[in-house]
Amino acid sequence: MMRIAVGTEKGAYLLTESGSSWQVEGPLFPGWKVTAFGQTSNGTHLAAVGSNWFGVGIHQSENLIDWKPSESPPSWPAGSDRKMEQIWTFHNLGDRLLAGVAQAGLFSSDDDGMTWYPVEGLNEHPTRGAWHPGAGGLCTHRILDGAGTTWVAISAVGVFRSDDDGATWVPKNDGVPSVDTVEGGKRPEIGYCVHGLAHDPENPNRIWRQDHRGVFRTRDGGDNWERIEDGLPAGFGFVMWRDRESGRLLTVPLESDENRVPVDGRLRAYASDDDGGSWSVAGTGWSDAPQFTGVLRRAFDGDDKGGFCFGTTGGKLWLTRDLGRVWQELHPSFPRIAAVRIVA
Amino acid sequence: MSVTVRLPRLLDQAVAGGLRRQANGETLAAVLDSLFVDEPRLKNHLLDESGRIRPHVLIFVDATRADLETPVLPDSEVQVLQAVSGG
Repeated sequence: MMRIAVGTEKGAYLLTESGSSWQVEGPLFPGWKVTAFGQTSNGTHLAAVGSNWFGVGIHQSENLIDWKPSESPPSWPAGSDRKMEQIWTFHNLGDRLLAGVAQAGLFSSDDDGMTWYPVEGLNEHPTRGAWHPGAGGLCTHRILDGAGTTWVAISAVGVFRSDDDGATWVPKNDGVPSVDTVEGGKRPEIGYCVHGLAHDPENPNRIWRQDHRGVFRTRDGGDNWERIEDGLPAGFGFVMWRDRESGRLLTVPLESDENRVPVDGRLRAYASDDDGGSWSVAGTGWSDAPQFTGVLRRAFDGDDKGGFCFGTTGGKLWLTRDLGRVWQELHPSFPRIAAVRIVA
Repeated sequence: MSVTVRLPRLLDQAVAGGLRRQANGETLAAVLDSLFVDEPRLKNHLLDESGRIRPHVLIFVDATRADLETPVLPDSEVQVLQAVSGG
């Protein structure tokens, strides 16, 4: 029985598989944007909420239905010029819980999210004065780790890597065009609008990247990136997912940064079974009707058991149970979907 | 004498004691500080990192828009609203 948590512009919803249909519970947190889901090391569910008026919050639940607000979400120090605009992602790093936030920063918790402290080595990085937001804000939205190394993705700043447990961070974007320079221009240290990252947990230096400027991969932990777009209808998009067992990659291309909808309205996931060397439409089940909608950078999740689901800015969910061979559009419609998590 | 504070429905899940509260203080800042003792999460939702009232939050004392220095009288009513920003 699959369960999917869906965070939207107005509340969260919980979908539970019931025979051939889906039971929908919600809205949870009515009126709040629900921007991220996660779990603590002991399995407690987390939901990050935000409001255009009242800032951010984190709620905790044992059963996904009854939620309690946690005492103190991440915050910038009193008197700071920075604003805590949104919690974009949670990530479990051993016993620690990390949160990526906007305005861009990384926070860590040693008590399952009850209290948080800033990761100063990243948040006060020497390049910080030149960090600028993309259309989605100045946000730390993806965290990867493996073999003692941690990577974070910040828009529109780039990928940073730490090899010393978060003490120091180095930008790792060579091979990716920046968002504010032209070909042949001087290459800046930061200014790279990474949209999505996925890696191989068995060899974490192998990372795939959906960027504002295209699709890329690295085999050396980000020291060098190469473009991999053979077969894709466009290089733009936000989704990058890798199935742990098979190594299959999935992405959902959008036309361009000016026009963030599928090319010709043909909403399709694309798959690669050769580490991004080539891509083709993933499976069947797609609608022939035009789908002029987008997929946001946290609006997808997979369960490493063949299940993969993404939500659209039009409020629809697409699901595969067999790693992209067959797709189905789920029938409920929601507000603009910001976050998806397969919780069971 | 205590001051009545009325909070908007959106904050229901952020407070433990309901949306109609009693607090004490001779200025709006003091009233909010007394409320934050019982409801520490509320501070993050009403004030920004600089300690000012959030830009899109409106607070009225006896139906007059207030700032943190506004005097509050015994039996005053403090009402918190979210601004109508946008459509």
